[in-house]
Amino acid sequence: MTSWRPPVYNWWGAARFGPHAQPQDTERIPRLTLIRTVGLTKRYGRVTALDALDLELERGIIGLVGANGAGKSTLIKLLLGLLEPTSGVGEVMGRDVFSQGPELRQFVGYMPEHDCLPTDVSATEFVAHMAQVSGLPPAAARERTAETLRHVGLFEERYREIGGYSTGMKQRVKLAQALVHDPQLMLLDEPTNGLDPEGRDEMLRLIRRIGSEFGIAMILSSHLLSEIERVCDHLVEIEDGRLVRSVPMTVLTAPTRVLTVEVDSDGDRLADRLRERGVAVSSSGRFLLLQQEDDALLDLIRDSVADLGLGLVRLEQGRRRLEELFQPQASLGEEEDSRG
Amino acid sequence: MADAPAGTIYDVGYQRYEGVRLGRRHAIWALYVHSLRGVFGIGRSWSSKVGPMGLAVIALVPAIFQLGVAAVTPTELSVIRPEEYYNLIEVVLAIFCAVVAPELVGRDQRTNTLSLYFSRALRRQDYALAKFGALVTGMLAITVIPQAIMFLGNGLAANDFGDYLKDNWTDLPSILGSAALLSGLIAGIGLIIAAQMPRRAYSTVGILAAFLLTSIIAASVFETADQNVGRFVLLLSPFHIVRGFTLWFFDATPDPGTQIGEANFHGIAYAIDAVLVTLLMLALLFRRYEKISP
Repeated sequence: MTSWRPPVYNWWGAARFGPHAQPQDTERIPRLTLIRTVGLTKRYGRVTALDALDLELERGIIGLVGANGAGKSTLIKLLLGLLEPTSGVGEVMGRDVFSQGPELRQFVGYMPEHDCLPTDVSATEFVAHMAQVSGLPPAAARERTAETLRHVGLFEERYREIGGYSTGMKQRVKLAQALVHDPQLMLLDEPTNGLDPEGRDEMLRLIRRIGSEFGIAMILSSHLLSEIERVCDHLVEIEDGRLVRSVPMTVLTAPTRVLTVEVDSDGDRLADRLRERGVAVSSSGRFLLLQQEDDALLDLIRDSVADLGLGLVRLEQGRRRLEELFQPQASLGEEEDSRG
Repeated sequence: MADAPAGTIYDVGYQRYEGVRLGRRHAIWALYVHSLRGVFGIGRSWSSKVGPMGLAVIALVPAIFQLGVAAVTPTELSVIRPEEYYNLIEVVLAIFCAVVAPELVGRDQRTNTLSLYFSRALRRQDYALAKFGALVTGMLAITVIPQAIMFLGNGLAANDFGDYLKDNWTDLPSILGSAALLSGLIAGIGLIIAAQMPRRAYSTVGILAAFLLTSIIAASVFETADQNVGRFVLLLSPFHIVRGFTLWFFDATPDPGTQIGEANFHGIAYAIDAVLVTLLMLALLFRRYEKISP
């Protein structure tokens, strides 16, 4: 992963990175907070979309969850400077999003939830134009456009007018225009909207790759918890414009003491044998769910399966699922350690 | 690779961009250039080119006619004087604006592309400024080029091009000045209407009405109302404003029988009026994009 370095700006807002940047001692640069909000509030008339949000996040793939209307899109638009806050402070990579918007947005990519593409230009023309509007010189914009369209799987189709693309291809163009200028942070608002299962799968794989392999920090808004669980390493939950939790995903999906066992036949016999040995067993369809007290249970399962002449198909340590955590009765007292 | 199914993601490794980032000014310039190409449909389908290119050619017709006359007549014969040129093509200019302005700004609103622009290295006023600059440049092309062709053609048809240039060089700043004022005025009015009405059909009709109806209404009010009041109504009609400052730029006196002649304003009043209206339109355009929710 590329080391994180803050951009260097000249007097009119152009910025340099890498070998062209002014020499800096990166060891002395403190690890920057990716996003910081203090009392960030947005009201539309009497409706409060975001209510005094205090948030501090470090780099990573951050999932933003909440019901429709919870304030996810409002937060993303505030962080982009697309909306003016009613009150409060918002900073991205140490820069104020409202007063330093254009400088900051050279390093931010945005993929909106809604349709946002012109129909009568080719993907190449549009993405290259967007790269230039993000500050890249024309030659670099053209070069990176070809590369980015290759990464999102549109290289062969790049000269076709966008109007003739499928929904999945349009989503890829939206992703490409957000990625083309090599941002430090990407804000993706419901990126799998309108995609079929296969398209969704591929989009999530691509997003995960951009975050983990390309080293680009990401905020991914979705109301589908399975997507967040699959892609993200940190979760921020918003409800009615308020922060509910901001926790690492590992905390939310920690291993449980439940073992899942599947055998090829006669699961009931195995269950009876284990109960005789004092193990708490319940069944869930083809699976047996065992309460694990210690590692001796694993030996017991192995021996019992062998004694009964059964075939062991699955032996899996249970993990908590996000869906379970978002049940109304769920309580998460132990998750209060914020990522920041 | 040719056999791979469409949509395959090739693993070619991701390269970080370590070059220079040119910032806001470059972003404005890029948007300006892209919009200017869009004015004439460059980079778009043929159907997008037909309207603006066709109108640009029509705007050239009087100049070409003048050239033809100058070429076949033995004496210096000026059928169309420079200060009259915009009178001849004012409807063409209005239609050009009505065709182009909705594409220039309405399209980004219709397709929601505005949210992508506002999340780039631009301020909202920058967007408005780039669009305004692009339309002004497009309008300048179809106003200055015919005038320049007429000037050069008349010069080449004259007995001595050097003498012609010496006698008429003052027309050049007049051509540029009047074209700039005209382009700013028409672009400003066209863009604010197009920005308020993203649907193309509505904004096209609205822009045509703003130029043609105001001209008809102002002329009618001038004829029927008390002249002391009615003459000021002419300052609200874009076509009358253009006629007024064009005469002033070319140091020509209006014919006494015309409304501009009867209104009896000093020519500079029309020029100042044009600047004020253009600035007002630009301010309204800034305000529009400041308030718009992407």
